[in-house]
Amino acid sequence: MLALRLARGAHPLVQLRRLLVAAASAGTGFLLLCTLGYAMGHPDASASAVLRLAWCAIPLAATVYLAVSVARSDPGTKPRAGLSAVGLGPARLTLLAAVSTAVACTLGSMLALLFFLHLRGDLSGLPFDGAARRLLAADRPLPLAAALTLLTFVPVAASGASALVLRPRNVKATAARSADTAGPAPDEAQDPAPAPTGLPWGVALLAAGLAVETYASHAPGGVGFPMPGGLAGSSSGVLAGWALTAFGLALAGPGLTHLCGRALQAVRPGAVRLLAGRVLQEEARRIGRPLGVVCAVVSGAYAASVLYGAAGKAAPDLGPLSTLGAFLVVGCTVATLVTAAVEARQARRHTTSALLRLGAPATMLRGAAALRAAALLAVFGPLTWTVAELSAIPLSAR
Amino acid sequence: MVAPPDNDVLWARALHFSHNGSPALTGVSLGVREGEILAVTGPRGAGKTTLLQCLSGQLLPDKGGEVWFNSTPVHTMGPLVRERLRRDRFGWIDPEPALVPELNVWENTALPLMLRGTARREAKTAAHEWLDRLDVGRLARKRPHALSMAERQRVAIARALAHAPNVVFADEPTATLHRADRAHVLRTLTAAARSHAITVVLATHDSEVSALADRTVSLLDGRRVNTVHLPAAPADPDSTEGRAACSLSV
Repeated sequence: MLALRLARGAHPLVQLRRLLVAAASAGTGFLLLCTLGYAMGHPDASASAVLRLAWCAIPLAATVYLAVSVARSDPGTKPRAGLSAVGLGPARLTLLAAVSTAVACTLGSMLALLFFLHLRGDLSGLPFDGAARRLLAADRPLPLAAALTLLTFVPVAASGASALVLRPRNVKATAARSADTAGPAPDEAQDPAPAPTGLPWGVALLAAGLAVETYASHAPGGVGFPMPGGLAGSSSGVLAGWALTAFGLALAGPGLTHLCGRALQAVRPGAVRLLAGRVLQEEARRIGRPLGVVCAVVSGAYAASVLYGAAGKAAPDLGPLSTLGAFLVVGCTVATLVTAAVEARQARRHTTSALLRLGAPATMLRGAAALRAAALLAVFGPLTWTVAELSAIPLSAR
Repeated sequence: MVAPPDNDVLWARALHFSHNGSPALTGVSLGVREGEILAVTGPRGAGKTTLLQCLSGQLLPDKGGEVWFNSTPVHTMGPLVRERLRRDRFGWIDPEPALVPELNVWENTALPLMLRGTARREAKTAAHEWLDRLDVGRLARKRPHALSMAERQRVAIARALAHAPNVVFADEPTATLHRADRAHVLRTLTAAARSHAITVVLATHDSEVSALADRTVSLLDGRRVNTVHLPAAPADPDSTEGRAACSLSV
């Protein structure tokens, strides 16, 4: 109940983020239900149905990632002065975050179920009534247990992941701090985040992924893991290579962001470059990971568009469900990046207000933020393009 | 509009301010003379911080209150001009040393200078000088998290003084320190201000602190008072006023 109460009084931007989670959960739930519909309609093609279910894992992962990031940035789940004293300590706050994530995801799942039933023709009286009656096997009764199992998957995974990420860690230090200052600890008392160390691993994985992709595209053999209704010719080797590349990019993201910050504040910096660079170094972990993921997704999308758009092949007929899935993945990763940026801004609120008290011009702070964004774009844009081109070359040469 | 007296660096008349309806200042007038150390005393909630924020141009007074700095009206300035005034002419010390955690000590101290566009080398030299003067020169390359609270507060004082402001506002600068550190920090602040003829407006609820000041202004419930009369403790030890209401044995 407390989660609902807190959700009702939240800021519109927070509500917007939760709505995004609900929308992502609705899309993923709808994809899962459509898989169920396909399986019901084609009882003999179980391998194909399992394949469709497996492809749903990517939108599911993107949704869970977004839900976790929104839960982290939710101001309602931060330790607040006085709440610990009335019994709402770190453990309860974790529970609260999990419950509010589950609420948002369940809302999305219910929407997905309604839309699915509506398209099947079970609910009538609206446009598109029963538009996909044949596709979704409307002549068979819907197995309720199967539908509910699929629909509870997103809320359970998302709330479990957010509880895991937000679990109270280092209980002794937190207790001591809250006893000391009765409120959020001042920023300067916290130890700075150590420099991220994943860059070598990330680069190695990136190179290995590209190599696997090249090797697999030259290897003879048929299509092992085709995407239903969409891009043909994605063999399992190429997909494994692409997954390795994406993982490498996500690992290398924080390290690259840290290096960006270092470069920004190098060589006799003035106030703007100093603040921009040091803050980027400090926030490298928070910003870099989602940035790497966005990079991977965008490079994948770019490679696919290069491959199928211009290489003289017939344009693939991306089915509506594949389009929905791609849209979900791209939207979720970009929303995660934006949420991470918001979280970083919230974490630096005290410092920003101190700077404003000193008389730092607001335009300078905005200039520092713009400089950070420009530096990241200047590094990650070419990187994305390079990775996309490199991964497209062996495939288009075939 | 009455022009302020010429010898006051800061002059305020009939300051009223309320935070979301709860009154913080109800008609405070005062003048601060050039180079003096003025202590603003009063218990918590007396409006000291609000008064300092009004004087330094962070807040605008309600109901036609006036703030003049060196015969220029602050209360009619736009936010950008007030921001530049704060940057160029004023220094501010928080109750907690609000240092930028990403910068090291000398960069924190040089930040106001760099914000004004001073060259990096000059800013660094000035910052190191001030840090040496306040006995924290050996920590110049450390980050704030490695410092103790008293050292951080001294760095914050160096930051407020480094750009040679006309007026430094210190809002309970010793609130989070122990007694020994408190005396040391205050002595360094007042000595540095006196040697550089910097005006200091010092808010404090500590009566010992006001001994270091040239003049004391007392606030109580948002008004200026000459002496603070707080209700005395009940003289009669057997007085049972309020005791029945608090008893748990009923």
